[in-house]
Amino acid sequence: MPLLEISGLTQRFGGLQALTDFSFQLEEHQLVGLIGPNGAGKTTVFNIVSGFYKPTEGNIVFDGRRINGLKPHQITALGIARTFQNIRLWNAMTVLDNIRLARTPQLGYNFLDTILRTARYRQAEKAIENRAREVLEMMKLSDIAEEFPKNLPYGLQRRVELARALAGKPRLLLLDEPAAGLNSSDADDLIRFIRWIHDEFKLSIWMIEHQMKVVMSLCQHLTVIDFGCVIASGEPEEVRNNPDVIKAYLGDDTL
Amino acid sequence: MQRYAINILLCVAAVVLIVLAQTETLDKYVLNIIMLIGINCIFAVSLNLVNGYMGEFSCGHGGFMCVGAYVGSLLSVAFFTDSKLFGAALFAPELAPFLFPLVLFGAMLAAALAGLIVALPSFHTRDDYLAIITIAANYIIISIIENIDAIGGSRGFSGMKKTVNAMSDLIDLPWMLIWTLIGVFVCVVVIRRLMTSTYGKGVSAVCQNEVAAEMMGVNTNHVKIMAFMVSSGLGGLAGVLYAHVYGYVNAQSFNLLKSTEGLVMVYLGGMGSITGVLMAAVAFTLLVELLRFIIPGLNTVFHDLNLLPASYQLDQIWTWVIIPLTLILLMQFRPEGFLGNRELTHVFPRLKRWITLK
Repeated sequence: MPLLEISGLTQRFGGLQALTDFSFQLEEHQLVGLIGPNGAGKTTVFNIVSGFYKPTEGNIVFDGRRINGLKPHQITALGIARTFQNIRLWNAMTVLDNIRLARTPQLGYNFLDTILRTARYRQAEKAIENRAREVLEMMKLSDIAEEFPKNLPYGLQRRVELARALAGKPRLLLLDEPAAGLNSSDADDLIRFIRWIHDEFKLSIWMIEHQMKVVMSLCQHLTVIDFGCVIASGEPEEVRNNPDVIKAYLGDDTL
Repeated sequence: MQRYAINILLCVAAVVLIVLAQTETLDKYVLNIIMLIGINCIFAVSLNLVNGYMGEFSCGHGGFMCVGAYVGSLLSVAFFTDSKLFGAALFAPELAPFLFPLVLFGAMLAAALAGLIVALPSFHTRDDYLAIITIAANYIIISIIENIDAIGGSRGFSGMKKTVNAMSDLIDLPWMLIWTLIGVFVCVVVIRRLMTSTYGKGVSAVCQNEVAAEMMGVNTNHVKIMAFMVSSGLGGLAGVLYAHVYGYVNAQSFNLLKSTEGLVMVYLGGMGSITGVLMAAVAFTLLVELLRFIIPGLNTVFHDLNLLPASYQLDQIWTWVIIPLTLILLMQFRPEGFLGNRELTHVFPRLKRWITLK
């Protein structure tokens, strides 16, 4: 059974058809990519999967459970975490608190426990703190645990966002343009880093990316969309040579 | 021992206050001001949860104080006194000191439920639109209460002094001062514990990036309901204490002007800073009271110096020119308030060695 199965997904915003009959499957522990020209609807797909948009039509099944119609925080609690194209960290909270908050779905205590500082509260907070420190350690961010994200360089902010996504122990990680704004050598680091995360945390990764180098060296499988429709899918090499894909990216040579 | 220095100091200060009040070393007027400071502390610190930590602009906090004041007063009158409205007392007046927490709790619960008027629309709107809703909520609450004739309508409601007297008759203590101090303590502890927990940090997450909060697993609707209800519930606590300190409530004392006072204290102290807002509440209340003496003084001085025409007298209306003016100056020169979003222990890290917070 695939980990994520999307069938016949269609999204309309008023008169705009952002996504048409999108179908997709992802197996456990796969690392796959979603590419396409600007405005093709890639982020829309992620926004639907993570519950931010309600799809007009179609079905999304995660781990045998239908998830369309669920609220974003419920979907996150089931094990789908994501990062954002434009970094969305909580800037007035320390890095450690940013990571701790990602454990909210596994909180394990309630309002009264918080006010009365019960044993349950103390245990749960200790577990959250430990997990957060552990993730920071793994991601080599321990030194900046007490810093505020807004004071960090761009590359580190990206890594904090990744750490935050991983803190909830997701089974599927959605990366929305992780290499955006990185130069070529940073991108090489990122490739190694994502591969390491993929092995270390034993999860499935689905990424949107524009930098061909990153996509080609990481992804086992690619889906290409243009104007909201799937125009190709398959192994990176075969997709790269697909005439439809070349046309979508470079335009028609009859022009 | 050193680690508890400030904790002990605060306890000693509270005991000294109670002793001074008990021995009547403090006159009634000063004592009333001290209790008003306490009530304003609760009022401002609770408002700070929504306006400071959650970053919403609630301008109707007075309305929730009003609900707390009226529900608390009604409970108190029904429980401990014989009244025309409720008939004979429900409990023996001797039980008043022990059952008074029930009154406080009932008032808080009612105010927290009233907070839902604002919490539910906050799922779909925010910022200016939500601010307008909070103003509307303030008006709705006051109009409803003013139009219920059974509880006095626009004439107000009284009878709570009997409850306070019942407490003093049993054990002769300055009861309202004690309850106010307990109220301040509870309010500060609740907000602090909430905001240092991972659960409560969801409130800050909603403020700083709501989309990220929802996407990272924070149930933002739950967080908003919780924050609004805690905030308005504690606002109700300020109300019920106010009602018992003065022995009389009138819906118009909790109109938009009262809500504005809360806003002034929060923005003066710094959004998202408990100690800052506490300082602001003390400073603001004292300023309002001191102006009662300063303005007549200025009046005399100006007339002696022939700076004012003899026919014009400076009067108390100038209070509400001077206070907004200080606010304008503050916003101009220190827009983040006294402490911004930091606490005293962040500004003076050494303080941490002298205080233990749980």
